[in-house]
Amino acid sequence: MSYHCPVCNKVSSSAMDLARHMIGRGDKVHRDWISSKGFKYSEFLTLQFKSFGGEGYKTLAKILEKETKVED
Amino acid sequence: MSKYSVIGKRVHRVDGPEKVTGSAKYTFDIVLHNMLYGKILRSPYPHARIVNIDTSQAERLIGVKAVVTGKDTLGRKQSTWRRFPELCDEEILCRTKVRYIGDPVAAVAAIDEDTAEEALDLIEVEYELLPAVFDPMEAIKEEAPQIHEGVELNINVTRHIEWGDVDEAFKQCDYIREDHFKCSSQAHVCMETHCAVASFGYDSKLTIWTSTQSSYYIQALVADMLGLREGDVRVIKPHTGGGFGSKFELDSAQFCASLLSMKLCQPVKIVLSREEEFTATKRRTPMYYSVKLGAKKDGTMLAKEVRVITEGGAYTGMGATALYLTGFFSSFPYKYPNYRYDGYRAYTNTAPASAMRGFGAPQSTFVGESQIDMLAEDLGIDPIEIRRKNGMTPDYEVPGQAHIQSCGLHQCLDKIDEHIKERGELPPNRGIGVSAYGFMSGGIFNWFDTPYAFSAAIVRINIDGKVDLFTGACDIGQGSDTTLSMICAEELGVHLDDIRIHAADTGICPADLGAWGSRETLMNGNAVKMAAADAKRQLLEFAAAKLGANIVYDMDIKDQWVHMVDRPERGLSYFDIVKDTIRGRDGETIIGRGHYTPHRKGMISPAYSFGVQAAEVEVDTETGKYKLINVTTAHESGTVINPVGIEGQLEGAVMMAGGYGFCEDQPMDEGKILNPSIADYKLIRSLDMPETKILEVDTYEPEGPFGAKEAGEGLTNPTAGAIGNAVYKAVGVRINDLPITPEKVLKALKEKKQQAE
Repeated sequence: MSYHCPVCNKVSSSAMDLARHMIGRGDKVHRDWISSKGFKYSEFLTLQFKSFGGEGYKTLAKILEKETKVED
Repeated sequence: MSKYSVIGKRVHRVDGPEKVTGSAKYTFDIVLHNMLYGKILRSPYPHARIVNIDTSQAERLIGVKAVVTGKDTLGRKQSTWRRFPELCDEEILCRTKVRYIGDPVAAVAAIDEDTAEEALDLIEVEYELLPAVFDPMEAIKEEAPQIHEGVELNINVTRHIEWGDVDEAFKQCDYIREDHFKCSSQAHVCMETHCAVASFGYDSKLTIWTSTQSSYYIQALVADMLGLREGDVRVIKPHTGGGFGSKFELDSAQFCASLLSMKLCQPVKIVLSREEEFTATKRRTPMYYSVKLGAKKDGTMLAKEVRVITEGGAYTGMGATALYLTGFFSSFPYKYPNYRYDGYRAYTNTAPASAMRGFGAPQSTFVGESQIDMLAEDLGIDPIEIRRKNGMTPDYEVPGQAHIQSCGLHQCLDKIDEHIKERGELPPNRGIGVSAYGFMSGGIFNWFDTPYAFSAAIVRINIDGKVDLFTGACDIGQGSDTTLSMICAEELGVHLDDIRIHAADTGICPADLGAWGSRETLMNGNAVKMAAADAKRQLLEFAAAKLGANIVYDMDIKDQWVHMVDRPERGLSYFDIVKDTIRGRDGETIIGRGHYTPHRKGMISPAYSFGVQAAEVEVDTETGKYKLINVTTAHESGTVINPVGIEGQLEGAVMMAGGYGFCEDQPMDEGKILNPSIADYKLIRSLDMPETKILEVDTYEPEGPFGAKEAGEGLTNPTAGAIGNAVYKAVGVRINDLPITPEKVLKALKEKKQQAE
């Protein structure tokens, strides 16, 4: 499966990888997309800081599963 | 008997006579006709808006020739991370806002330093103070002041590395531990402070003599910041008194001297004071580590998860690289089947944190090697054994990151094991701690976005057989001029004194990325070897014809003798062949060219060195004070080009890395560094130096010139961890935040005593 970034169209192999890409880029256009879905970029980052296990990525990945273009 | 004539010999540095006689010229020594002296006015506030700068009084002072501020610049922002514009965040001369105590706001050129200094007092800067944040753990909170516009939570860079299934692997572990560590800052303390002499002429060409680790980077960055063509900027590196990672970014001395010189068409010299060196240049990145480590009962490590937040300071510099490398080297030198790293770099209103010798690896090694000892103790396994069980081996693939070709880690463990046994039973309060490490031989990622090869060299053979070697490599005291001359001499089959090296002058040398990431021996060494081989090939073509052998023999040159490989007695003098070749080619000079850029070598580096260090300490339990008794290192760096060079690197590294573990720190109050002088900044001095010993381990690196790889920065990685482990062995207290000062040891001893009671 390939997941397309809704902002820059970068292709990732999983929703988790795509979440890592979006948080990792962290520029205005990627942050704006997250805001447009009713979430805050900073909240995902804070989740990441606070615990092991990549919770910030996991939460965003769940959103991306539903919101992005997926190809087999 | 060695198959090499030059390599492996104990030779003195090619620049040694100049240095020991005091005749070597450093940037500080350069005086040009009509030269002016510059000084830089710096912000006294950690975070403030610049409302107005009035330079009129300073300009009226007799002897002042020019004053420049951010308004005299093109308003560009720069960084060596040119590939990512969002990381180019430093103007150098601030136009609207200052972000740390020491940020430059104006510069003056005058007839002498005193006048320039006096003029600084006459510049009136009106600031509007802004709330500031100094601690990265505070900077990442929602309510923290924003240091750069649009950077949420002040997170400047994030880095993620992962392989395997970490969450699942932790479920399979018999034992898991979580620990937290704090790694402090460190100043580079180069003997020569940052300095530059810039001369812009009426021909619109700019020449800069400067103390730098990369002439090419400075050329390209200055050209961009001042709107010049790269070819109109010539950067010359005279002898340089140390860099250690602090001198491959464009600095305030280089930029301000150039700007002033352009304004005046007169040479301008700026030498940073020792106080400026401590407060207004970059420093080692402080890091907050959280690490989760899981293993089976037998000590097999199954999973590791690392979370790091770094104190970035006001600007990016090379901090993005340090953030990645600390994550990568957190997995070193072990075979973790499952690994996850998340790193976050936070802007703070403190002096920018960036590259320093080891580039993030001394921090990760301190953390990793402390924790593995804790794990070993918990599981009842010997510290050497647990490292043997999990240590990297040759031809190991770090998933998605790196391919390790040569690796002598296990031989190093054997040597250190023997060393510990030889030391025998130790007296009370004395302990030996070990620390294993690895490091890269130059970096692969092209963050500077250069179109050039990473290293290049030109070899020119003169009619008398003397060889001119042109290279962009920067000898900053580490000895690369000697190493590269030896490689050139070996490949060409001549003597070391046949080589004359011309280095780090962008006007005559090919571009080279410079001296950082322990890259010169492998990367520039390959380029030099290729250039020498190219020149040799041209000589051998003539020699083959002249010898008139009736069958085709392989030919070579060794010890100035051009000969058939299988019949070495049949040959000709190198000097005769040089003359014949030049005459036979209508007088055309013999020129060999070489270049090197690593391809398909993973994400990090084409090769890695490995080693194990044992530090022995003796602790005074009354005061917490401890003494470094002995530091013994088994280091493998492939073929050793110059054993004297490695010994020098080791001794310097023990002094520097020992200081990181033992005493060096930069305490701050509201962003102000409190110890900005050699008197107050605690270094390991000659009398504090322990006995040091290097144990040789032979390996051969297929990617390196004659099998060589790095022997510079890697040696700074293990010492802090080894000291921490030694203190624990000696008196049973574990210190998780650097430096491990006597105060911390004493406090821990008291707590231990209270708990026992």
